[in-house]
Amino acid sequence: MDQILNVLVFGLLLGGIYGLVSIGLNLIFGVVRIVNFAQGELVMFGMYGSYYAYAYLGLNPYLSVFFVAPLVGLLGVAIQRLVIQPLHNESNMQIFATFGLLMMFQNIMLAVSHGEAFSIGGQVGSAVLAVADLKISVARLVTFVAATLITIGLHLFLSRTLTGKSIRAVTQDKRAARVMGINVERTFLLTFGIGAALAGLAGALLTPIYSITPGVGGNFILAAFAVVVLGGLGSVWGAYIGGLIVGVVEAFAGYYIDPALKNAVWFVIFLIVLVVRPAGLLGQVGAEEVGFREQN
Amino acid sequence: MPKKWDSVNKIETASPVGANLQGQTQAADSGIESGIESGQEALLKYLATMALAFLPFVLLMQDAHWLNIIAFTYLMGGLAAAWNIIGGFGGQFSLGHGVFFGIGAYVCARLYVAFDWSPWLTLIPAAIFAALVAVLISWPTFRLRGPFFAIATLAFNEVAFVIANHFDSVTGGPRGIMIPFKAGFSNMIFRDRWQYALLMFVFAAIVIGITVVLRRSRLGYYLLAVREDEDAARASGINVLAVKLKGMALSAALTSVGGTLFAMYLRFIDPPTLFTLPEVGVKFALLALIGGIGTIAGPLLGAALIIPFENFLRAELASALPGLNLAILGLLMVLAALFMKRGVVGAWSDLLAWYRRKREARK
Repeated sequence: MDQILNVLVFGLLLGGIYGLVSIGLNLIFGVVRIVNFAQGELVMFGMYGSYYAYAYLGLNPYLSVFFVAPLVGLLGVAIQRLVIQPLHNESNMQIFATFGLLMMFQNIMLAVSHGEAFSIGGQVGSAVLAVADLKISVARLVTFVAATLITIGLHLFLSRTLTGKSIRAVTQDKRAARVMGINVERTFLLTFGIGAALAGLAGALLTPIYSITPGVGGNFILAAFAVVVLGGLGSVWGAYIGGLIVGVVEAFAGYYIDPALKNAVWFVIFLIVLVVRPAGLLGQVGAEEVGFREQN
Repeated sequence: MPKKWDSVNKIETASPVGANLQGQTQAADSGIESGIESGQEALLKYLATMALAFLPFVLLMQDAHWLNIIAFTYLMGGLAAAWNIIGGFGGQFSLGHGVFFGIGAYVCARLYVAFDWSPWLTLIPAAIFAALVAVLISWPTFRLRGPFFAIATLAFNEVAFVIANHFDSVTGGPRGIMIPFKAGFSNMIFRDRWQYALLMFVFAAIVIGITVVLRRSRLGYYLLAVREDEDAARASGINVLAVKLKGMALSAALTSVGGTLFAMYLRFIDPPTLFTLPEVGVKFALLALIGGIGTIAGPLLGAALIIPFENFLRAELASALPGLNLAILGLLMVLAALFMKRGVVGAWSDLLAWYRRKREARK
């Protein structure tokens, strides 16, 4: 029983990490339907940003996140303006272009860091909270709480504010949104910027947990796509729950089946959901077609 | 290699037959842009392309360093052409062709090392196996459109990576499979580099020959129709799923053959060399994109441009700044997606059309 509880808690906390790295992609791919394979590299930039802030300025990652995230957001705005916007009706070319960005970013960081792995660790990374028999890593708990809070915030933003509503309007019908006086291009810029900033934020918060390498984004990108699709495109809560599911499945598969196969297990679940219910668990049926209708 | 050349000849003699009809209807008009080209034209173009592709081999036969690059260029050109069948003609952007590439490599290496099968004999079962796997994984995923299909194929590639790492009794796991050097034609292991380069050239010639025939066949036109508008194709009575599956199976089988050749050329395979996306699954698509997606010569042209360039970058930059060569390749990919969506072949035909318009305007 204790074991199961331990694995479950570990899985939920892992799910918090997956949820956190997926929130940005959820906005970019789930809500406005831009295929961004470079999202994991934005997380990576967030990690390097907070590492350098720690190494050179002595700033705690939980402080540096307040300027690292906006910086990555600015990078996102630049990507949207220079690369995505010219390709906004061609999802296949978005795949190529963002995969090219992925290779660029990864290898630029490799050249800059000379392939050396960094890690903050120290007291922030190793702090543990003991509840009865459970040992909970504080850094992981922080990411879990952050994922929950950001999900709530994003949900409120998209459903209550005018800007959030205009983002959803642009997804559903670009032309009608334009007729209603929404600046479509600016809305896309804003959305991509926020999505990128959230990736940077996730990266900063993960710095105490992961060792930082140029390829670290690769751990997250497919997971993030899986989470977004699994939970339901366009559903903010879906991505949160999708993240938890992936985390728990990975934890149990790793513990009870084989650690080497843990990824394969949730890949397979992801593929099954993708095929059986492409709208995802919480997405509206047919949601996967929205925003691509004009493209195909 | 009499067996190999036979099949090329068959392709060459087969293509004009069915196309004579079309040739007669537009006999006077030999324009490149307008109408359907005749069978003779297609055959001539094919032969000219392959002759041109053969030239570097003849010129640089003495240079071992260049022969290595040329052999790899032919191989990657053939593989990109195989991807082009489903990705270019069919419009289904698979990023998971590493799965079929890996199947070809593993089936051959395992059967050769453990049971002493000649790699030539393993080509067919491996290709059939790859085609079966392709059908099995494509059947459900072909319901997905656009980016969802690409993401799903990406996931399959990752599953294949994990499986190859895990089941080490078959694949050797992370240690990989080492193929001992025993030169001999029946082992597909050669003493000299030029023999490998020739083998790769034959592979590329066969794959491109198949795409020439396919492009003019019923299945080829069906694939194009599906790419242009799936709903319209279905409305015209095309069984869309069957067409996609056939295209995918053919593409996968040819990719598996390329995987076998790769394994015997390198004589060492492990999961990272077979399933790393920027080097394999995405590379095929990238080469086709640079050359011209959906064109006959595009994939080979893309390989001819990128593979030597990549080798140059690796030699010049990798030691100074690791990764810079791949960063430049990534930048190239972004630029191609932005400014050269139809690749070099597309840019060339645009230029030709522009020139012709200008000339006519002057008249």
